[in-house]
Amino acid sequence: MSSFFVKKIGKSGLLILVALFLVAPASSGQAAEKIVTIGAPLPLTGPLSPEGQKQVQGYDLWAEAANKAGGVKVGNERYQVKIVYNDYQSNTPRAVQLAEKLITEDKVNFLFSPFGSGATKAASGVSEKYGVPTIAATASSEEVYNQGYKYLFGTFTPNPTLTEPLSDIVKEKVPNVKKVAILARNDLFPLAIAQCMDASAKKRGFNVVFFEKYAIGTMDHASALTQIRGAQPEWIFATGYINDLIFIRKQMGDLKVSAPVVTMIAGPAYKEFVDAAGPLAENVTSASWWHPAVRYKGQDVFKSTENYNKMFQAKYGFIPDYAQASASSVGAIFQLAIEKAGTLDRKKVRDTLASMDVLTFWGQVRFGSNGQIDSLKPPVFQIQKGTQVVIYPPEIAQAKLQVGVK
Amino acid sequence: MLYLQVLVNGLVLGGLYTCIAVGFSLVWGVLNIINILHGTFVVIGSYAAYFAYLKLGIHPFLSIPIAAAILFVLAYLFQSGVINKVVAAPVLTTLTLTFGLDLFLNNLLIIAFKADYRKVTLKNPLGVLDLAGITIPVDKLAAMVLALLLTGLLFWVLNASRTGRAIVAVRMDREAAALMGVKVRKIYALTFAIGAVMAGAAGSLISLIYPISPLNSFMFLGKAFIICVLGGLGSVSGAMVGGLALGVLESFGALAFGPEHAVTLSFIILILFLLFRPMGIMGKRGYD
Repeated sequence: MSSFFVKKIGKSGLLILVALFLVAPASSGQAAEKIVTIGAPLPLTGPLSPEGQKQVQGYDLWAEAANKAGGVKVGNERYQVKIVYNDYQSNTPRAVQLAEKLITEDKVNFLFSPFGSGATKAASGVSEKYGVPTIAATASSEEVYNQGYKYLFGTFTPNPTLTEPLSDIVKEKVPNVKKVAILARNDLFPLAIAQCMDASAKKRGFNVVFFEKYAIGTMDHASALTQIRGAQPEWIFATGYINDLIFIRKQMGDLKVSAPVVTMIAGPAYKEFVDAAGPLAENVTSASWWHPAVRYKGQDVFKSTENYNKMFQAKYGFIPDYAQASASSVGAIFQLAIEKAGTLDRKKVRDTLASMDVLTFWGQVRFGSNGQIDSLKPPVFQIQKGTQVVIYPPEIAQAKLQVGVK
Repeated sequence: MLYLQVLVNGLVLGGLYTCIAVGFSLVWGVLNIINILHGTFVVIGSYAAYFAYLKLGIHPFLSIPIAAAILFVLAYLFQSGVINKVVAAPVLTTLTLTFGLDLFLNNLLIIAFKADYRKVTLKNPLGVLDLAGITIPVDKLAAMVLALLLTGLLFWVLNASRTGRAIVAVRMDREAAALMGVKVRKIYALTFAIGAVMAGAAGSLISLIYPISPLNSFMFLGKAFIICVLGGLGSVSGAMVGGLALGVLESFGALAFGPEHAVTLSFIILILFLLFRPMGIMGKRGYD
C-alpha cells in the first residue's frame, strides 16, 4: 500500500508532503502564539475556596464566550484567551508571591486580583511595580483603592453604596423602626460594612442599641442573640460570610429573636444561603453589587444581563450570583479595553481602562480617579418565597419590601 | 432571667462539646496520640447524616448508627494500616502523621463534596420550648441529651465490658496489660475506632445545628483540644466536665466581654490550666 502510494505520487511529491508536515506545525505554532494570557491567583483550596470556585466559574465563562466569538480583537488580529490559575490556598502572603510569579515566570499579559479586599490590597503593590493592569472582581473597601496606584481597577462600589439605600428604604417603608442592632464578624469587609451601617443608621436618627463583633470561627452566637432579644431592636443587621450567617439565622430562630427587618450581608445573595436556611431565609433583606434581575444591554461579549444569565445557566445549570457575574465582568471589561486600545501594550490598555465609560451586562462601567468603579447602582433585595427579589432601585424592582422576620 | 437564659444556652452548647471531645480524649489518653483527624471524622459524621436525610429521609438522630459504622470501619483501617506502625513513637511523630492524614482526608472531602456549606433542614422542624421566658430549641436539647446518653454508654462500655476493661488496662500500663494477655495492637485499633465512632455520632447530632463543610474540621478539633485540657485527659467524666464548663464559660464570656472575645477567653483558660493545673479539673485518674 505504502510503496504503491510512493510510486504513484513520486519522489518529489513525497518531498512536498514531508515539507508540508514540517511546515504545518510551524504555522499552527504561529497561530498558537496569538494568545492573550491573564493570570488569576485564587483561593482554590482552604477556607475561602467556595468563593474562589465562584471566581473560576465566572472567568471560565468569559474566556469561553470570548473564544467562541473568535477571540479578542487586537488591531486586525484575533487572540484566544487563556487564563492561568494559581492556587494561593486562602493564604494572603502566598497570593502576593503568586501574583509576582504569574508576571515574571508565566509572563501573563494582565492580571485578575486575588479574592476580597484584604488580598487584593496586598497583591496590588506587585502589579503596580511591574505596571500590569489588574482588575479586582471582589474588592469594595476604599482602603484598597486609596493607595495612589495607577494600575488597579475594581468593579465593586464602596461599602456605603450598600448601606445607604438600605437605610433609606427602611426609613421610608417601615416608620416604626427606631432601634438597630448590629452584629459583625471581626474581619476586614464584614466589619467595614457594619461600621458603614452604623454611620448610615445614625445619620437617619436610628438608635444603634447594640453593636458587637464576633470572632472568626465562633461556634455559638446564643449570648449575643439573647442580648439582642433583650434590647428589642426593630432592625437587626448581621454581617459575615455565608457560614456565619446561616448559623446566626438558625440560632435567631432557636432563641425566638425576631424583628420587623433583618438584614444580612454577605450571604443571602447566594443560592446556598436560601437552600441551607430554608424557611428561615424568608424576608431577610440584603444588598449586593449585582443581581440576576438587573437588566442592562451592554457592548460587551455577553451583550445583555439576560443573555449572560442564559449562558451561565446553560454552562453550570444554575443562576449566577454577583460573585460569578463580577468575575465574568472583569474579563469582559479587559476585552473591551484591549479591543479599544487595539494593542496588548500594558500602558495603553491601562489608559483605556482609566478613561472607559461603557455599558455592560454588569452595569455602567466607569472608574473613578482611584480606580474604583463609581457608576454602578447596587441593588437591594429580599428573599421572598425562597427567591431573591429586587426591591431597589425602582426601575428594576420586582417586589415591595415585606416587613416581619420571624 | 438573662443570666438563666445564658446559663441554659451554655449548658446546651456544653453537651454538644462533650460529645465532640470525648472520642478525642479517649484516643489521646489510651494511645497517647493527638488525633488531628478527629475534626474531619466529625465532619464525615455530619455528611453521613446529611445524605441519609436527603436521600433516604432518615432523621439525623436515627442515622447515628450509620455514621458510627462508617467511621468505625474507616478509623479501624487507618489505625491498623498506618498509625499502628508508629504508635509507640514519640507523640510528635504520631501527631505529624495524623496531621498529614488529615490534610489528605480533608482535601478528599473537599474534592468529593466541595467546600460549600450545607445544612440539614427538617421538613417538620422540632420547634422551640418556652419555659417561663427561657427559650430552648428542641433539636439542640435533644442533641444534648443524646450526646450525654452516648457519653454515658461509652462510660458503661469501658467499665462493664471485657473489651472496655482491656482498654482501661492498656491506658494504665501497656506492658502489664500485654503480660496479662491483652492484645495491645488490637486494643489500640479498637480504641481509635471507638473514638471515631463518638466523633461520627457527634457529627450526626450537630448536623441539625451547624452548617456542614470540610472546612469546619479545625473548629471542632480546637474545641476538643481545649476541653481535654480543661477536663483532664483520657476520661469520660473529664470530657463531660470540660465540655459543660467550656460551654458555660463561653456563654458568660460573650455576655461579659462581647462575643468577639468568647474564643479568646477559652484559649486564655487553656493557657492558665496548662500553667497551673495541667491535669485538668478531673485530674488523670483513668476509668476506674
